[in-house]
Order: sequence, then C-alpha cells, then structure tokens
Amino acid sequence: MDYMKFFSKKGDVRIHFNIYDIILNFLILSIATFSSVKIIVWSFFEANWSVVSKNLALFTFGSYPYHDRWRPSIWIIYLLILCFFTIFNKETKKKRRPLVFAWGLFVPTGLFLVCGGLGKYPIPISYLGGLSLTIMLTSCSLLFSFPFGIFLALCRQSELFLVRNISKLYIDFMRSFPLITVLFFGQLLIPLFLPNGVEVNRVARAVFAFTIFLSAYIAEDFRCGLQSIPVSQIEAGKVLGFNDFQITSLIVLPQAFTIALPALTNQVIGLFQNTSLMSILGLAELLGISRSLLANPEFIGSYLEVYIWLGLIYWLFCTIIAMLGRYFEYQLDYDGNNR
Amino acid sequence: MTFMKNIINVVNLSKSYSAGIKALDDISLDVGKGEVLVVMGPSGSGKSTLIRTFNGLESFDTGYLEILGIRLDPNGDEKNIREIRKRVGMVFQQFNLFPHLSILENITLAPIKVQKRQKIEAQEHALSLLSNMGILSHANKYPSQLSGGEQQRVAIARSLALKPDLLLFDEPTSALDPERVNEVLDAMRDLAKKGMAMVVVTHEVGFAKEVADRVLFMDAGRVIEISKPNIFFQNAKEERSRRFLNQIIK
Ligand SMILES: Nc1ncnc2c1ncn2[C@@H]1O[C@H](COP(=O)(O)OP(=O)(O)OP(=O)(O)O)[C@@H](O)[C@H]1O
Ligand SMILES: [Mg+2]
Repeated sequence: MDYMKFFSKKGDVRIHFNIYDIILNFLILSIATFSSVKIIVWSFFEANWSVVSKNLALFTFGSYPYHDRWRPSIWIIYLLILCFFTIFNKETKKKRRPLVFAWGLFVPTGLFLVCGGLGKYPIPISYLGGLSLTIMLTSCSLLFSFPFGIFLALCRQSELFLVRNISKLYIDFMRSFPLITVLFFGQLLIPLFLPNGVEVNRVARAVFAFTIFLSAYIAEDFRCGLQSIPVSQIEAGKVLGFNDFQITSLIVLPQAFTIALPALTNQVIGLFQNTSLMSILGLAELLGISRSLLANPEFIGSYLEVYIWLGLIYWLFCTIIAMLGRYFEYQLDYDGNNR
Repeated sequence: MTFMKNIINVVNLSKSYSAGIKALDDISLDVGKGEVLVVMGPSGSGKSTLIRTFNGLESFDTGYLEILGIRLDPNGDEKNIREIRKRVGMVFQQFNLFPHLSILENITLAPIKVQKRQKIEAQEHALSLLSNMGILSHANKYPSQLSGGEQQRVAIARSLALKPDLLLFDEPTSALDPERVNEVLDAMRDLAKKGMAMVVVTHEVGFAKEVADRVLFMDAGRVIEISKPNIFFQNAKEERSRRFLNQIIK
C-alpha cells in the first residue's frame, strides 16, 4: 500500500507495521496537528501584530535618518538580487565573472551608500540599526576575517618556527574565550588603548572584535582543508615550475576552500546569528531594536509576536546563506560527490 | 667540459635518509641527447629517489648533477632547481592531475603562468597535444571523469606543454589496469620516436626491450649494471640482475 511508502525511503518499504508503529505515528501526527492548529489560531485571531506592522521601518533601518532610508534600502535590495542570481545561476564557470565582481563590490557599496556617499553631508554609521546593521556587521566582519583567517591558516603550516607558533598561539588563545568577552573587549577596552582624541565608532569596534574572533575559527576550518591536500599535488606544481606563491594560490587554496566550504558556511550562519550579542552591548541591531521596542509602553507584553517575527527574519537569512553555501558546493564539486 | 653533449651527468651521487642506510650509494651515470634510459630494480632500491634528484624534488648528500648543463650541488641552489624544472617534465605513478581544474586548464596553467605564454596559443598547443594523445574529446572534462589511462596521458600532455628537453617517468603504468597500460606506453613510444630524451622507471619489459637505448639496473642504492636492452634481457652481466629478471619474467 502507498501508505507504507509514505513513511519510508524508496527501496526500503517496510512490510511489517506493528501496533507500536501505528500508535507512535498516531501520536506524532496528533501532536503536530494540535500544535499547528493552535499556532494558526493564535497568529490569526489572538496575536496583535501591530507591534510588527507599525515598526517595519524600525526593524529594517533602526534610527537611521528618515530621508536617507533609500540608502540602506538600495543596499539590501542589491543583496537580495545578488543572492537570487547567485542561487539560481546555472551558468558555467566562464560566465560567473560579473557575479563575483558584484559580490566583491557589496561591502564597499554598502559603506559608501550608508555613510552618505552621493549626498551633501556624511552620515555616521552608528545611526544604522535593525536588519541593515545586522547585515553590515556580518558582511564587514566576513570581509576581514576571511583573508585574515586564511593568512593564519597558512602561517600555521609555515616551516618557520616563530611564524608557525605565533599563529598557533593566537588561534588557541582566541578560541579559549567566549565570543561575548571578545565583544566586551572590543567595546570597552579598545577605547582605553587608543590615544586621547582618537575615537573609533562602536560599529567598527564590533567588526574588529568579530574579526579577531572569527578568523581563528576560519583558520582552523582552512587548516582542515589544507591538510587534506596530498603532498603529491604540491610536487606536481613544483615540477611544472610554479613558485611557492603560485602553488599556494592556484593549486592548494582552491582545493582547500572546496573542502572547508561546508564548515565555512556554518561559520557564516553562526556569525549572522551572533551579531545579536551586540544588543547586550548597546548596538540596535535586529535584537537590540526589538528589545527597545518591547520596552516601549505602547507595545508592552507583545513578546511572542516580536520574537516570532525576529525568528522568521533570522530563519529567512540563514536559509539564504545555507542555499548560497550549497550552491558553491555544487559549483566547486569537481569530484562529482554531490551530483 | 667533455660532458657537454650529455643531457644528464650524475657524478658520485650519494644520499641517505637516516644514518647508515644509503638510498643512493655513489651513483655515476650519463644520459645523452635523445636517449631513452630505462631504470629497473627491486622495490626500495632507490629508483624513485634517483630520478627525483634530477629535478630537485629530492636532495642529496654528496656528489653533483648536471642536468641540461645546469649544475646541482648537494645544497641545491633554488634558482638552478627552478631553471631545471622549467625544462624537465615529470610524470608520476599517481598522475597527480589538479582535480579542481578541467583537463584543458590542467595543461595550460603552467604555460600561461610560468612561461607567460598567450592564453590562446597555449590552448591551441594543449589541444594539439591532446589530439596526439587521442583524448581531444575530453578537453573540457575534469580529471575525476577520466579513466586512469586517460588521466596519465593528460599528465604526459601536461608536461609536454612546457616543451621540455627531458622527461622523467616514475612508474607511469603501475597504477593502471593491465588493459590500460598499452595506451600510455604507446604515447611514450611516440615520444621516443620523436627524439625526446627520457628516463623511465618501469617494469614493463616489452617497452624496455623495444624503446630503451640502455637499461640501468639498481639494487640497494647502487648501480649494478648499465647495458643495452638486448644484452640486459638476454644475458645480463651481473648475477644480481639475472636473479631479478627471473623473478619478473615468468
Ligand atoms: N621519505 C623517506 N624517508 C625515509 N626513507 C625513505 C624515504 N623515501 C624513501 N626512503 C627509503 O629509501 C630507499 C629507496 O626508496 P625509493 O622510493 O627510491 O625506492 P624505489 O626503488 O622507488 O622503490 P619502489 O619500486 O617501491 O617505488 C628505500 O629503502 C626507502 O625505504
Ligand atoms: Mg618508486
């Protein structure tokens, strides 16, 4: 009967359906039905979504100046279009150039727009809030921690004693702290170290803290990739006359990247979610904005609505990141593992 | 120098990995222009170690080498080694193609990046090499999509793309299915006919008889004998060689 196929994979149709299976299935089904009905009833008839609908702009831009909201808007739309074209691009290697180029310009464009480029006066980046700030923190931190992480990973493999061990020390040191302490360090201690009169804004300090933290993890993911490249690949490169730099950049790193990719996707998703820690340290990113909204007497008590809404946004973006990761895995899948 | 006509001069070469055991023991030999030297010997006799010193993949302790007139001393000068590598190709037992690049890219990468040749010209050259090897239709595939024999022919094409003056082969057919061996050997026969100088570590007796100008037999890091193939295979001078041949020809 088709009923059996429904519960098992193709080719492993279970013949015997004992009484426990039936009870278990019934239980699971009834719990699922019960809770979905509950959720639907709650969200359509009981929930008061005005806290979300009235504050959509706040969730997206924070307290960014009203007349300049087109700036982060363009940037976010740019991002979504880019993600769309990347995920649904089935072109071959050659035709990917423009996409790679567009991704490379993503952060510079964002900084330029958000900080008031094209306008008459500069806008402090600390005005940014909500989703735009979350994206800004994530993308800037990634932009810096990838190169630094790769650099650390390469140093860790170095033949020079000092280089290798300093990088090892750094990686182990960074990994022994919870992220939140590193973020505290960035927000509270860095200003003390800077000479008088020099001020670095909170966003940049947060990016700095995320970068020094995340690069240690990225370095470890890359090390895993680097170590799985057989020596024979390097020998093949040497024999063809490549110098060390060419062997690293043309032969070793591309292969290491492919191997490290699933782990790296994890890091990106983790980073996106961890930017919410900055709400504790006074940045009004997605979570920070929500907390300040909930403190507003008008919306007091709408916890469930706000956090479900937040959950949806995080879910959406993390799914996009996961899809991008899977797309790259597919594109770089030269061994045919995923086909 | 009196040796100038030779492509390879090896003079009193010795090497040991760990104290006491010599991987190469006072080896001297030479290879002339357009000559094919086949290297044979039991496992662990130092065949790989020897030919890997020729392009600086392996260092050595005493003696010296002259490859294409470029001298290599025990503390090998990095610049000389790179100079040699630009002119000496090498084919490995395990092919060692770059899995993340297409066949065409595998072949054109070094000509473009190392020799700074034009991309179009390098590609045309690569395609003509592939067609010589009979694998033109695979140009846009990836190494994992090819059989072992095809991959090894790509590896040969890849080393030929740099227009080398000397090719080194380390057991190029040992990792192949028996029925795939000949397609690679045929490609190598072709090269020999065109006058390419080659040093080939192999246990393919048929190939050695037909193509080799001389056969070098090694044991325990030492040269036991260097003979013409008809002499080596019919009645080798050394008792050790005959024992080895008895074992592999059956
Ligand atoms: N990296 C190494 N470290 C230590 N000893 C080594 C190393 N490589 C080779 N040897 C030793 O050097 C000797 C020669 O090895 P080599 O690989 O040159 O032999 P071979 O003739 O190529 O053998 P095969 O036919 O198995 O390939 C062997 O005794 C081997 O154990
Ligand atoms: Mg060997």
